[in-house]
Amino acid sequence: MPELGRLRAVYAAKFRAEIALQFAYRGSLVIWLLGLLIQPIVYLVVWTTVARSQGGAVGGFRAGDFAAYFTMLMIVNQLTFTWHFLEFEWRIRNGFFSPLLLRPIHPAHNDVAENLTFKLLTFTVVVPVAVFLLISFGATFETQAWQVAAFVPALVLAMALRFTFEWTLALAAFWITRTGALNQAYFVAMLFFSGQVAPLALMPAVVQAIATLLPFRWMVSFPVETALGRLGPTEVLVGYGAQLAWIAAAVILLRVVWRAGIRRYSAVGA
Amino acid sequence: MRSLGLVWLSLRLGVLNALQYRVDFFIQLFQSVIGLGTALAAIAVVFSQTDELGGWTRDELVALVGVFFLVGGLVNVVIRPSMERLMEGVRLGTLDFTLTKPADAQILVSTRQVDVWRLVDVVLGSVVIVIAITRLGERVGVEHATAFGLVLIAGMAIIYSFLLVLATLAFWLVRLENILVIFATMYEAGRWPVGLYPPWLRLALTVVVPVAFAITVPVETLVGRLEPATLVTTVVLAVVFLVGSRWFWKFGLRHYTGASA
Amino acid sequence: MTAASIRVTDLRKTYQVPEREGGLRAAAGSIFRRSTKSVPAVAGITFDVSPGEIVGFLGPNGAGKTTTLKMLSGLLYPTSGEATALGHVPWRRETDFLRRMTLIMGQRNQLAWDIPVIDSFELNRAIYGVSRAEYNVRLDELVELLDVGDLVRKPVRNLSLGERMKCEIAGSLLHRPEMLFLDEPTIGLDVTMQRRIRSFIAEYNARTGATTLLTSHYMGDVEALCRRVIVIHHGSLLYDGDLTGLVERFAPRKTISIDLEPDQPALEPGVLAGLAGGPDAVVQHGAERVTLRVPRSETAAVTTRLLGRVAVRDLVVEEPPIDEVIDLVFAAGPSDAAERAETAAAQPVA
Repeated sequence: MPELGRLRAVYAAKFRAEIALQFAYRGSLVIWLLGLLIQPIVYLVVWTTVARSQGGAVGGFRAGDFAAYFTMLMIVNQLTFTWHFLEFEWRIRNGFFSPLLLRPIHPAHNDVAENLTFKLLTFTVVVPVAVFLLISFGATFETQAWQVAAFVPALVLAMALRFTFEWTLALAAFWITRTGALNQAYFVAMLFFSGQVAPLALMPAVVQAIATLLPFRWMVSFPVETALGRLGPTEVLVGYGAQLAWIAAAVILLRVVWRAGIRRYSAVGA
Repeated sequence: MRSLGLVWLSLRLGVLNALQYRVDFFIQLFQSVIGLGTALAAIAVVFSQTDELGGWTRDELVALVGVFFLVGGLVNVVIRPSMERLMEGVRLGTLDFTLTKPADAQILVSTRQVDVWRLVDVVLGSVVIVIAITRLGERVGVEHATAFGLVLIAGMAIIYSFLLVLATLAFWLVRLENILVIFATMYEAGRWPVGLYPPWLRLALTVVVPVAFAITVPVETLVGRLEPATLVTTVVLAVVFLVGSRWFWKFGLRHYTGASA
Repeated sequence: MTAASIRVTDLRKTYQVPEREGGLRAAAGSIFRRSTKSVPAVAGITFDVSPGEIVGFLGPNGAGKTTTLKMLSGLLYPTSGEATALGHVPWRRETDFLRRMTLIMGQRNQLAWDIPVIDSFELNRAIYGVSRAEYNVRLDELVELLDVGDLVRKPVRNLSLGERMKCEIAGSLLHRPEMLFLDEPTIGLDVTMQRRIRSFIAEYNARTGATTLLTSHYMGDVEALCRRVIVIHHGSLLYDGDLTGLVERFAPRKTISIDLEPDQPALEPGVLAGLAGGPDAVVQHGAERVTLRVPRSETAAVTTRLLGRVAVRDLVVEEPPIDEVIDLVFAAGPSDAAERAETAAAQPVA
């Protein structure tokens, strides 16, 4: 199929360009690495302190479990996060969107390719950081072999879901001139319902119930829980189902919003 | 005193400019309230599982959140935007215009840009501190409150000096546009008492990026847990930082003149 | 000739622009209530462009040139009207159309800022699905024509404005588009660079037969490239035809410059005025040089009268500079300009 071949070529070219770009910004990457290291440590340290003060464990999590949880959370976050919804407003306002629109290829491909290459490149840095955290905070795992295998599809589905969802969110910039407030509201929801502040198991029952119904858990927390060996086979299968259902919903939403957004963009002026 | 007048004029101009964009106020209010709510909710989640965190009670942590917002707000109102503008000036060469003005360049660049709506954070932070103080009750005496004010000012001076040093590095590292992110990242860690962190990170938060002096230390003063020695150290350190950063700024300036010639 | 490659019928675009009064109260009120007004940017224009033509769009700022160009390149939906380009409705942005055209804007760059130019080219190669062999041939050709050989390995940020524009153009033509939309391609460039880019566009058009639509503030671009111009003013079509026709229509007078033989009796002002067809026609009256501005239709008669009366060493008949003509067109509104041109042409010759 020639179309598929062209896509592969686009991704390959984008990958090379992105490497050159990241090389030009290697200083900035080091600073970014600092943030990568600090973020998981904050809540890891808080919860380790809580566990110690409660006689070694809280809600079934010991200090070593927290180390494992927040390190895996960092890895999953790192692989699933996207930044395009933070850039879209700027992109549209400065006219960087129009050229993308005139290419004979959907603009989402540009961002998917950018995202994947950035992830591939930075993963080489994430791994040593993760190893450092796991060792220095004495992480413990109770993961079985099948759960390690189950983690991979959970992660891939989480990446697809989060990208589709956040790219749809980004399209809000077609209607709203300043998306900062909307994005922050999204961040907060993400913070509490995807297990960033604390493992969902430690959250109040109400929050846990809501988290199951919302997409956020399936973007981040679910793969982490799988990697920590905290889910049984049934729960993992249900999780896959939830992820697939949400991906389907997000894709439909994306198509609807994209069509309306482009019509609006083309109507008000590029 | 001429310098103070200059600072005032600069700030006034920034305020007038911001008043043109009132929608920004509502957006900022929304974002600040959400940010504060998030911080308090996080404390609630933690304290649903425990009664104290590394020797800190819930109300003490609420006070910490208040100071985190107050100091963060002050930094974001004038220091950070001005430093960003300074770095842009170095990158684009527009700093020339500032340097040719007959006034102290450090004061000019430090007050160039005002993000006035960030005062919302300052107000919210202050309200939270007052609430925390009332809940802490008689543990907060007049002498504690005075010392708190003193340490807070010293802490601000330290943070200002640190940011000035980071921004001055732009004279050499022109392409490192996100260098101030170092501060923002480390500041986030200041949401919680620095005593919780492992020794290497605690050291970094105290000596390398002195966030501890601006958040943890003032709150410890407020709740009367601070040793007099630490108080003296903080004030001395503030003076050292101010003098040192000024020297470094002047040193960097020489480099700028050399580079553009 | 085959069918038109661009066909535009009664194309209109109206923007809704928020309207706000000054003052704090109005500013606060506008947070909740927003009143808008309609601003017609393009108010119904119709024209065809044949394959291979280079057409210049002229008009002052805000005339609707860029809006038209954006509609034809597919970035904007029109409010009403129809258009086809290369057989496609542009704003549907069908892949086949996008692959065969390109839009180059002088004030925007599409090449990635921080990486070498050649990496952006590679990306375009992949996006437009150009085969490696074709790519190499075209790249060599473009590099040679635009003289960008040693530039393509540098990051864009290290290039001068002119160098960047040349690379921008090269990158936009790697897929050999059959249709070019150029929005102010020479803006901000020095005269040498402008000339260079002009001759390149002419060369590309000659080699590939690509239909080219160009807007520019520089008359030099239009004079050098476009035999046909379309003048838009306040969103309406003011003129569509060849460049000489534009001059004839809007500048109804020609300039006659005469160098006189020195050894002859001085010409009386009254006599000269009589020869020229009125005192107004005399621009300059010196001992050795006379300049007249006369209606186009009278040029031959005046010249004959002069030659019969005085000894002439040299005589030149010129069109006014095109810049002046354009000024004349835009100085007035659409109907105005045409009217004034007609009255000027109809002025009686005494």
